[in-house]
Amino acid sequence: MSHPVSPEQEGQESAAALQRQIAENQRVIDQLNRALARKNEEVRIIQQISTEITSTLELEQIMETLLNAMEKVLGFQHVMILLKDHATEKLQVSACRGYAASAVGAEVAIGQGVIGVVAERKKMMRVGNIGVSVRYLMAVRENLQGAGQAGLAQAPAQLPGLPDAQSQLAMPLLVKDRLVGVLAVESPTPNAFDELDEMLLSIVASQAATAIENARMYRMVEQLSRLKRFFSPQLAEMIVAGGAEDPLRTHRREIIVVFLDLRGFTTFAELAEPEEVMGVLRDYHAEMGKLILEHEGTLERFTGDGMMIFFNDPVPIPNPAERALRMALSMRACVQGLSTRWRRRGHDLSLGIGIAQGYATIGAIGFEGRWDYGAIGTVTNLAARLCGEAKGDQILVSSRVASELEELIEAEEVGPLTLKGFYKPIFAAAVLSLKPNAAASD
Amino acid sequence: MGVLPDEIKPALQGVMPSHMATCSLAGEPNVTTVSQVYYVDSDHVALSFQFFSKTIKNIRENPYALAWLIHPGTLDTWDLEIVYDHSETSGPVFDAMDMQIEAIASMTGMKGIFKLKAADIYRVISASKTVGERLPLAEIDTAASAAQEK
Repeated sequence: MSHPVSPEQEGQESAAALQRQIAENQRVIDQLNRALARKNEEVRIIQQISTEITSTLELEQIMETLLNAMEKVLGFQHVMILLKDHATEKLQVSACRGYAASAVGAEVAIGQGVIGVVAERKKMMRVGNIGVSVRYLMAVRENLQGAGQAGLAQAPAQLPGLPDAQSQLAMPLLVKDRLVGVLAVESPTPNAFDELDEMLLSIVASQAATAIENARMYRMVEQLSRLKRFFSPQLAEMIVAGGAEDPLRTHRREIIVVFLDLRGFTTFAELAEPEEVMGVLRDYHAEMGKLILEHEGTLERFTGDGMMIFFNDPVPIPNPAERALRMALSMRACVQGLSTRWRRRGHDLSLGIGIAQGYATIGAIGFEGRWDYGAIGTVTNLAARLCGEAKGDQILVSSRVASELEELIEAEEVGPLTLKGFYKPIFAAAVLSLKPNAAASD
Repeated sequence: MGVLPDEIKPALQGVMPSHMATCSLAGEPNVTTVSQVYYVDSDHVALSFQFFSKTIKNIRENPYALAWLIHPGTLDTWDLEIVYDHSETSGPVFDAMDMQIEAIASMTGMKGIFKLKAADIYRVISASKTVGERLPLAEIDTAASAAQEK
């Protein structure tokens, strides 16, 4: 059945339809405008965060700025920044917001939990149903245990974070595909994060990764320049790269200590002009320095004409006693050459060397702003005393070193010597030369 | 614009279990609970294939299925008519599902025990809010487990 429609009714209906269409169009336009405004706001916020975190090289400040922005601007209540520790190959909570302060320092093994798997795969992950999934798997686990297959399961991972987290969004912090750490947000509400959060976090994460990496590099360069004061450049780089332990941390190790100084230097320094003294020291230091590097010795310190060098620290090396001896022999030969020149200028100088072997406590000694790398132990004292006893051109080694090197050297016993700081008289050996077979391999 | 509207996305996060009805070639129906129907794009969803189950067996025989989802925010229920398309054993969808399974497994001490065999990709034919009388969940669960027991 059809109803006749009057032209008036038709007009009213089409006007109403037009009104509805206009209202609908307006709604769509408003919606688009709101979306556009939100996008603009997000872009502005991200630009601001990016400017702030890249304007400093202080790691703590970068992380603080990042956490602030995540919390106050983007509205994430529980945020964690974990950095990869290159020595332990684990992630460590370096800064966080919305957790107990004790969370800082907690570790996550690569591959454990959402954060660990994100680090392992270097891909972001968003989960909104942790509670349900964990409950489900725990039930499966109980069934397995009931079926006597408990051996399959490991202990549930102990992970930092909210105990009742339902949602997690974790982003790998990557610099050119290398993992720096993980940025993670959590919530006790299921499904708390959506694709927009994912997008915001991925942009922040890429900025943060670069800023954190730069700060770490800067810190490394600083550490490098500090270490280079004490160690060879290669060694300093190795320490910073994590290939050797930080030698400035106190540790105990068996080392060979070599002490040397110039016989006749005190008299020379008293009588000669300061310029003359400095000239002699410059020649002497330059030559000795070359030989120390060549034999991979570590220069602990030099005081005027005296030098203390040790072997087997900061990195253990093979045959430290032999290297020390070969260095001492080269030094003796070198100074013999120098002293011929000095003698022509009227200076009577020759080298005395003492070598001892034993355990010492080694590490940074000093105070903030003026740290030195040093060794403490009887061994350093013995080497110094033997050096004091040595005549010009003489190399005195402790009986321990002499027995270590008996295959290599021709030596004659010296002593008993009464040395300051030692209760019992000490026997030492004066090195005459290398045995013919040892000299051949030199 | 695909079949799946944006508002359905929270129902595809696995917060509330979904139900899935399949049918064998012989015509025997099966209804079961699945922990998560994953969102792939506005025309596709994915299901994890971890163990051989009646659902997998049925789908390989007869690719049509109905997924019944619950929106955790509004508690609206949705019917998705889906058809099995293909299985993926690598790529972004597989990786995302695999990572999620591995993360949760490691949290419960079962890392390496659960392996995702494949991500089964379904094309969505239609998505609509469930119309008609809603049965209480408990009744559906009973029916589902009764069907499973068969």
